[in-house]
Amino acid sequence: MSILSQIDIEKQLRFWPRHNEALYKRLESKHSWLEDRHASPDGLGTDPLDNEMVLNIGPQHPATHGVLRCAVKLDGETIDKCVLDLGYLHRGIEKVAENKTFQEFMPYTDRMDYLAPYANNVGWCLAVEKLAGIEVPERAQWLRMMMSELARISSHLLWMGVGLMDAGAVSVFLWTFELREDIYNVFDHTAGARLTVSHSRIGGVASDFTDEAFAMIGAFLDKFDEAVVGWEKLLNRNRIWIDRNQGIGFLSKDEVIDLGMTGPNLRGSGVTYDLRRFEPYLMYEEVDFNIPIRTEGDALARYFVRLDEMKESSKIIRQCLDRLPSIKGPVRADNAKKAYPSKDEVYYSMEGLIHDFLYTDTGVCPPKGVWSYHAVEAPKGELGFYLQSDGTGIPTRVRINTPSFTNLQGLEYLMEGAMMGDMVILIGTVDPVMGEADK
Amino acid sequence: MSEASPTKTPNASLSFDFTPVDPPKADDALQNPHAKATTFVPKVVAALEERFGDDIVEVTLYANEHTVRVARDRIVEIGRFLKEELGFTYFVDLSAVDRFTDDERFEVFYNLVNMDAGQRLRLTLRTEEEHPHVPSVTGLWRAANWQERECYDMFGILFDGHPDLRRMYMPEDFEYHPLRKEFPLLGIPGSLPLPPQTPEGEITGDPFPAAHGSKPVKSFQESDSDLKKA
Repeated sequence: MSILSQIDIEKQLRFWPRHNEALYKRLESKHSWLEDRHASPDGLGTDPLDNEMVLNIGPQHPATHGVLRCAVKLDGETIDKCVLDLGYLHRGIEKVAENKTFQEFMPYTDRMDYLAPYANNVGWCLAVEKLAGIEVPERAQWLRMMMSELARISSHLLWMGVGLMDAGAVSVFLWTFELREDIYNVFDHTAGARLTVSHSRIGGVASDFTDEAFAMIGAFLDKFDEAVVGWEKLLNRNRIWIDRNQGIGFLSKDEVIDLGMTGPNLRGSGVTYDLRRFEPYLMYEEVDFNIPIRTEGDALARYFVRLDEMKESSKIIRQCLDRLPSIKGPVRADNAKKAYPSKDEVYYSMEGLIHDFLYTDTGVCPPKGVWSYHAVEAPKGELGFYLQSDGTGIPTRVRINTPSFTNLQGLEYLMEGAMMGDMVILIGTVDPVMGEADK
Repeated sequence: MSEASPTKTPNASLSFDFTPVDPPKADDALQNPHAKATTFVPKVVAALEERFGDDIVEVTLYANEHTVRVARDRIVEIGRFLKEELGFTYFVDLSAVDRFTDDERFEVFYNLVNMDAGQRLRLTLRTEEEHPHVPSVTGLWRAANWQERECYDMFGILFDGHPDLRRMYMPEDFEYHPLRKEFPLLGIPGSLPLPPQTPEGEITGDPFPAAHGSKPVKSFQESDSDLKKA
């Protein structure tokens, strides 16, 4: 029986009836994974319970990590077909970007992947700097790299806490949030904001860090390295955690590439693609770190990849802390046409004030009719900004290639054929952030 | 100053909406501090030109990035050649640009990566406004599926051969394509039914009612104070 015939569209679907009609039609017409298995001679045979059900999970569901709607067709407890519905957090961020100057748009990037805002800031600023050809002082690059890695740890910590809570372990959630609190304190001290940091500027960063900030980061790393050892003892051989994750959500190497997945989801299946190595940006060529790769391709492999990535990030930040005292100099490009002048100039000189005003009003003007793409390895994967300029301070086209969006496309494939009870684990293992996926 | 024409009065050159416009310089590609080695792919461009000849319309280079504009109808063949013979197996991104011109208004671009050789290539193609049909590449890269849906949603470009061309973000009831340049930033009132602001309220169709002159509805209406009654 068709799904649509069971629904009274006029009464039950008060909003957007045509949208829901199209969604259920798609669910109906999708290729059935289970029918193939039933038809094969050594297959499962027909389901004795013959228990088919259409279930909507989300958008308001705590385990969907935001406002993700999954319309699934169940056969017993197996997910036969799955259609994801996005757009419940769509704010038209690309349209907003096309109506703002480059610097004005930077705070909006905080709202995309709100678990790692600093990485987004840096990604945006690097993209604009590439388009306009702005050179960044070395000290600013080290600071940016350090804070991006801190953002990676913060994002993975949340993934881990929430992922374990999805699997039924609440205490790890509290431990990871205690450490995230420390990272927030560092952001609070350095940028003045805990969540939406907006600290990176085009041409550098807003302000240099105090010695106290470096001490805070060092203290956090000591605490973190100690905590990770404890988590590994708890989880790496934990029977429940391994049983929940091993063999779940398997993707082969060819499949992840074909589905276009990025970040830890790609590296958990044995693909050696990390933009920090593929297209080194900032100072990643100067530091010594490894890219964790796993070849199993299941949820457990992605857990190990993310755990190892956090440890590597810690290693990178320690090297930054070692190197930064010897790298003196400004934290922003000393060119008032390309970057904000320092506050000393703004407060005590007329030219500084004029340039500050002009930069807020017009901002940086890249050459006319050029375009460029710059991507960074955000915690979730490749975060790329494609920018096109018409010579004014406002971009004509901003295209944001977000990792969560591309990863969710793989999730739809991942869910089909999985068990209903694993659905929450599968959403967690892909690690989507809807603020980013919906743009 | 010496280049200014003598017939112009000084006031004629005064314009308050002036923004400086720099044309790109010849050595931008070499000068760019953020240029990447992966995006400079002359061998791939040469292979494409040798194989497809006139269907490679234009090759540009900025910030060390090669952009290859191809004929619209050959995109699937060119994509297959790139994937199967040149190793561009990883599909990163697809979207479009509204050029807002009369002829060939939309420009669709593809971002492809060859992981083994460390190459990144941007393909573009142009299509007209009236019938913006572009052949779909979902048969080559499954990753293009959602990207093409998003592009259709935002620009109204129709991808021929796409298995499931629904809107990605906006509901199907929405009739416009928001990233086109003529779509207003504040949205179009009445284009989307939105939930009422109070439980008893009516469904509104305006995403920004305050911008269009209506006052916000309070969920609880206070009774007039004694002061006001007096």
